[in-house]
Formats: sequence, C-alpha cells, structure tokens
Amino acid sequence: MNEVLTLFKPRIWPLKNRGLSKANGKGGARLILLGTFGLLFWCGIFAVSWRVLIYFKGIEDIGDILGYKLLSMMLVVSFALLLFSNILTSLSKLYLSRDLLLVHSLPVSSYKIFITRWVDSTIDSAWMVIIYTMPVLISYGIVYKTGIFYYINTLIAMLCLAAIASAISTLLVMTAVIFIPASRMKSVFILMGILSFVVIYLAIRLSQPELLVDPEIFDTVMVYITSLQTPSSPFLPSSWIYDSIRSALAGATSNSLFFTALSLSFAGMIAFVLILLADAIYFKGFSKTQNAPARLFKSNVIGDRLFNFLPGPVRSFTVKEIKTFLRDQTQWTQIFLIAALVVIYVYNFKVLPLEKSPIKTVYLQNLFSFLNMGLALFVLTAITARFAYPAVSLEREAFWLVKTSPLSIRTFLWIKFFIYYLPLLILTEVLIAATNILLQVTPFMMILSTLTVFFVVPGIVALGIGLGAAYPDFKAENPTQTITSFGGLVFMIACAGYIGLVVLIEAGPVYNLFMAGIRNKFISLSAWIWIIGSFGLVLVLSLLAIFLPMRFGRRRLSQLLI
Amino acid sequence: MIELKDLTKKYGDFEAVNDLNLCVKKGEVFGFIGPNGAGKTTTIKMMGGILEPTKGTVFIAGINMQDAPEKAKSKIGFIPDRPYLYEKLSGMEFLKFTADLYGVSEDAFQATAYEILKDFSLADWGDELIESYSHGMKQRLIMSAALLHDPEVIIVDEPMVGLDPAAIIMVKALFRKLAGKGVTVFMSTHTLKVAQDTCDRIGVINKGRLIAIGTTEELQRAANVSETDLEQVFLNLTNNNERSSDPI
Repeated sequence: MNEVLTLFKPRIWPLKNRGLSKANGKGGARLILLGTFGLLFWCGIFAVSWRVLIYFKGIEDIGDILGYKLLSMMLVVSFALLLFSNILTSLSKLYLSRDLLLVHSLPVSSYKIFITRWVDSTIDSAWMVIIYTMPVLISYGIVYKTGIFYYINTLIAMLCLAAIASAISTLLVMTAVIFIPASRMKSVFILMGILSFVVIYLAIRLSQPELLVDPEIFDTVMVYITSLQTPSSPFLPSSWIYDSIRSALAGATSNSLFFTALSLSFAGMIAFVLILLADAIYFKGFSKTQNAPARLFKSNVIGDRLFNFLPGPVRSFTVKEIKTFLRDQTQWTQIFLIAALVVIYVYNFKVLPLEKSPIKTVYLQNLFSFLNMGLALFVLTAITARFAYPAVSLEREAFWLVKTSPLSIRTFLWIKFFIYYLPLLILTEVLIAATNILLQVTPFMMILSTLTVFFVVPGIVALGIGLGAAYPDFKAENPTQTITSFGGLVFMIACAGYIGLVVLIEAGPVYNLFMAGIRNKFISLSAWIWIIGSFGLVLVLSLLAIFLPMRFGRRRLSQLLI
Repeated sequence: MIELKDLTKKYGDFEAVNDLNLCVKKGEVFGFIGPNGAGKTTTIKMMGGILEPTKGTVFIAGINMQDAPEKAKSKIGFIPDRPYLYEKLSGMEFLKFTADLYGVSEDAFQATAYEILKDFSLADWGDELIESYSHGMKQRLIMSAALLHDPEVIIVDEPMVGLDPAAIIMVKALFRKLAGKGVTVFMSTHTLKVAQDTCDRIGVINKGRLIAIGTTEELQRAANVSETDLEQVFLNLTNNNERSSDPI
C-alpha cells in the first residue's frame, strides 16, 4: 500500500511546488481566469437546468416523466462520455506516458503501478464530467425538494458511475493491447475511435431523444407516456444510477439504497477483476508497447512530387506537415469522433419536426438556416481548436528546425494556415450545404450562408494558427493539453466574439432581404446602404480576423527563445 | 552477479537480440558496445525488467527477473539513456520518491541524499525544480537516484551523454570505486574510450548477437589489430561479423 501511495507523489508534490515554478506569476492569473469562466459555466448550467425543471414540473401529468427522461438521457450521455474519455486517458496513462520506463524499472509490482495509473486515469477522465453534471443534479434536488440523503446518495452514485465506466474502458484497453500487436499502436487507436463512435451513437440512440418532441406518432397519450417511462436498458450501469437517483428524488430511500449498493458492488467487483487481470497481463502489454511501431499504411499517399511547384523550404514543410498529421495516431480517434458528431449534427436537421410548428414553415426553415450558420461556425471553432490551434505546439522539441531553417516564421505560419484552411473550409461548406438541403431553404439563404462561411472560415483558422503560435506549448504530450491552456481560452473567446459579431451584423439586413423576397417588396435606398455597409463590415472584420492574429502569432513566436 | 541465458527478443519477425549468453562477475565493470540498432538498449531494458524477453532468462544477483521482478529490481541501480524525470518535482523530492520505492529508510535517506547530491555537484540545486536543470544535470540526478539504495548491480545505458569532461572523469572514477566495493557495473556505450578506460571486460554486440567478449587485449587479438585503439578493433569485429556469427 505504501508503494501505491508513493507512486502518487509525483502527481501530488507538484501542487505544493507551484510557488517554485518560473511561470507561477502568469499561472496564478490564468488559473483565476479559467476558474472564473468555469464557475460561470457551472452557474449557467445550474440556472438553465433549474429553469427547465421548474417548467417540466408545471406540466400536468407528464411533467415528472419528462424530468426523469431528461435525467436518464443525461446519465446515458455522461456514461458514454466517461467511457470514451477513459479509453483515451487509460491508453495514455498505462502505456504511452513518458515516465513509464522509469516507473517500471523500480522494484514495484506491475499491478501496483497499474492501480496508481488507473486511479489517476479515472480522476483525469471523470472530474470534468462529474463537476458539470452536478449543477443539473443539484437543481433536481432543489426542484424536487429532497433532503440531504439525495445529495449524498447522488454523489456516491456518480462516483460509482465514473469508476464503472473507467474500469470497463480500461478492461477494453488492456485486452486490446494484448491481442492487437502493440507495434500496431495506431491500429489500437483506430479501433478505439470506432468503438467510441459506436458507444456515442448507441448512447444517443438508446436515449431516444426524438420521442420528447413528437408525441403525435403515438396513437394515444397513454402510449406516449408509457414510452417515455421505458427505461433505457437494465444492463446499462447508467440505468442503475438513474434508478438510484430517481428513487431518491421520489423519496423511496430503501429502493435508492438498493441501486446505489448494486452500483457500488458492481464497481468493486469490476475493479477487483481489473486488478487481477492487470497482475496477469498489464506488464505484457506494456512490454509489447515498446516494440518499434510498425506503419499501418506503407504506401506513400502524399507523393513528394505533388508539391513540386512550391519553393524548396515551403515544399519540405508542407509535405512534412501533411505526412506527420496523417501518421500521428492521436489525430485518428479525434477524426472518428468529429465524423460521428457531424453525422449526428446533420441527422438532427433531418428529424426536426418543422411542419408541426405553429409558425410558418418557410420562415422557420430560413431562420434555422441562418442560426445554423452560427452553429456550424461554432462546430468549426471546436474542430479548429483541436487541429489547427495545436499545430505550432505539435512541432515540440523539433521547433529548433523551424527556427534554424531558411524559412521565415511568417511563411511557416502561412503554410500551417493553408494546410488546415482548405479541409476545414470544405468541411464547413459541406455541413452548411447539407443542412440547408435538409431544411429546404430558399436559394438566397443557401448563397448567403455558403458565402458568409467562405469568408469567416479563414478568420477562424487564422485565429487558431495565430493564437496557437502566440501561446505555444512545446512540452504538451498531446494536442488536447494545449487547448485547455490560457491561449486556448483566448482563442475560444475570440472566435465566439467574432462569430457573434458576424451573426449580429448580418441579422438585420438578412431579415430585410428575406422578407422583401417573400412579400415581393422593394428595398429602399437607405436599406440598401445599410445592407451593403453591413456585408462590407463583415468582410473587413474577416480580413482583420485573418491578418491580426497571424501577425500577433508571428511576433510572439519570433521573440520566443528556445 | 549478472547472468543472461539464451536471451532473445523478437519484434515481430525482427530479432533484436538473439540467444545472448553472458555472465558478469561481482565487482566487474562490463562494457557493452555495438553499432546503432545492434540490440544494446533492448538487452539493457530486459535486464532492467522493463521489457519482457521473447525467450531466455535474466538473473540479477541470482534472482530470476521473470520470477521475482521486484526483488531483482531492488538490487539494481538503473540509469537509462534518455531518462524521464518529473519536471515539477525538485531534485531532492525526486530522490525521496525513488528512495521510498526502493525501501530506503528515512534515516538512511537523510544521511546519504545530500552527500550524493554533493558528489554529483548538485547540492546547490537540490531544492530547485527539475525543469530548471540542464541535460547534464538531469543525467547526474538520475545517477544520484540510482545509487541512493546501495545497489549491488548498476545497469547504465550511455552514461556519458550530456556530461561535461569533469563529470565524465568523475563518473569513470565512481564506477571503478563502486566496482572496488563489489558493485557490478554493466555499461552500454558508444564512447569506446570510456569503455577502454573503465571496463574490465567488453562485449561486442552486432545484429542482436554477441560477436566478441574479453579484455581490450583479448579483443585486439581476436580482431587482428595491433594498435591499442579500440576503434579499429570495433570496426574490424563488426565488419567481420558478416562472415561469422559465432562468438569469438
């Protein structure tokens, strides 16, 4: 036990060493800023869920059922998130962390190393999900006027959910590493990506969200209500947690305790099995991981000749950038995840029950199309944050090559920009066009949204590359670490502001143009001036969004000492 | 003290180490040399219990590494070529961390930690975070940590990388001093001068096979080289290896 506790020390001691770190001054301010935003977000979730639950409570007969269904959906999604997040974290903590060679050379049993890594991975992957589901669960407690038992029970139940999800993911990871040769680690990542996709897809399908908005497909209200009451699946651990929390909400303490005990005993049992398995196979898997990684695709997909038209240094960086991107296994899982999210995003537009709305369909279709433009740009921001923002940091220790090469930092950054700009532009345009087709919008709205996106995408990509260059983290082990930094936060805020401004500036003129089209009315000269001025302003804003962050990034990166 | 029996490691179809048999006596400094990719680091990793052999056995102080890895590892001071150190710990905290895992008592730690840091010219840096250390200082810190529990065997991969000349001289003298006290040192290196100056015997590995073993003089004879320079011996032996695969 002492050894297990000692193995935790490298994780705990740095917390008390914060004062010794050179970056402490900046770190404190950043921590306060990040903490404030985190707290605001937490309060926002609490306010929204409290308001929604009060509304549900006010609906006669089915109010409680809706509330419980929402709870069930949230728990299924949380469980899926925990599973997915832990697959990636445990793979990294158990097999890929840089300190593993040191730890395994120490006279400690491999199962003890496993225990510390597993606990570490569980905390890392679960803390955010637990913290941000708490405001929802607390609002349930307040709206349903529960006692202290509910809060304690819910906390224990959620911790069980995190432990169970982590144990299942780690079991999968440990088994996969043994059966798939570790020299094909990339294959493991792809497998994990596919698994994650399936898990998320199933989680969403299992929660049957469309049932909430379309009661008319049922013959009677009773069938609708019965359908809402159907539990997700008795074999899902999230269902036990749901039953426990729901019983606590309804005041059925013994029933609630039964399901909490069931979750606790399952968590204990699976943890026990996991440790037994780890004792048998963890070291074997770790040993296999050290084999020289074999390439999955040996053919040279990106031919060097393809970029022959570019000058030497530009060509070499372009080819290197594309090759390393395609060969970096950490990119693969994320690509699968993004593909899954895009599919679900587009699918949501397909099932929107617009025709049942009391508002005129053509108006609603085009309103959604306009709002969708902003939404798609937020999706783009998330993807840019994951891929383009860490692009400079991913140079890691090899950044000295950039500094010493006969290539200016400006050119280096523009190469990065164009590599990400083209695929992201295509992705966003496809997203916009596909959703517009599903919404059956007017040609005017189709042209407007595709054109707006065409001008906004380079701004967002430039914000990603520029701010990523201004706040590089060459020591980050994976790209997701960079985006949770101060620079990442600045990027997110800048993008949200930029997108918000574009939508705000265009809203008035678009409404005027659209309504004039529908009502066959002429547009006055002053309105035309307003419209042209607004679109001109968006254009200027987009140009500023491209050049300002790129210049800022170039200046900061040029001054950086390595 | 160190015994490798039929040690083999395959990466897929590639044999990184092939039927390696070797015995290193107590108090001996053994040099392990070979070209890049010859299998030195793979061998060292198997000896350190970090990598599982495909076949064969590693005995450290008579303990089978596969049967009792913790017991065997407790006898070793392991110094990898590219050590990872927890950057947010101070040097002293890192020593405390390893001391706890090797079962060094608090009293023994208090008595030795500062002295060891002093020996490696790190006494003034003990309370600084490792992130502020230079590469050479990190290398010296990992050596300090490896010596803290009085190991019976030292396994070291490329010990001189990143060290300044004064530190190289100090480390060479330290290995000899430890050997004098009965500690076995197994050292992989590319610096032939270091091997020549420090080691009692040298093993040459190429393409996963041990192609020669002996004192510098024995290797010179085996390689038909009259000069005292080990470089020519190394080149002759590794080039001749294409013709013969049996250890000399």
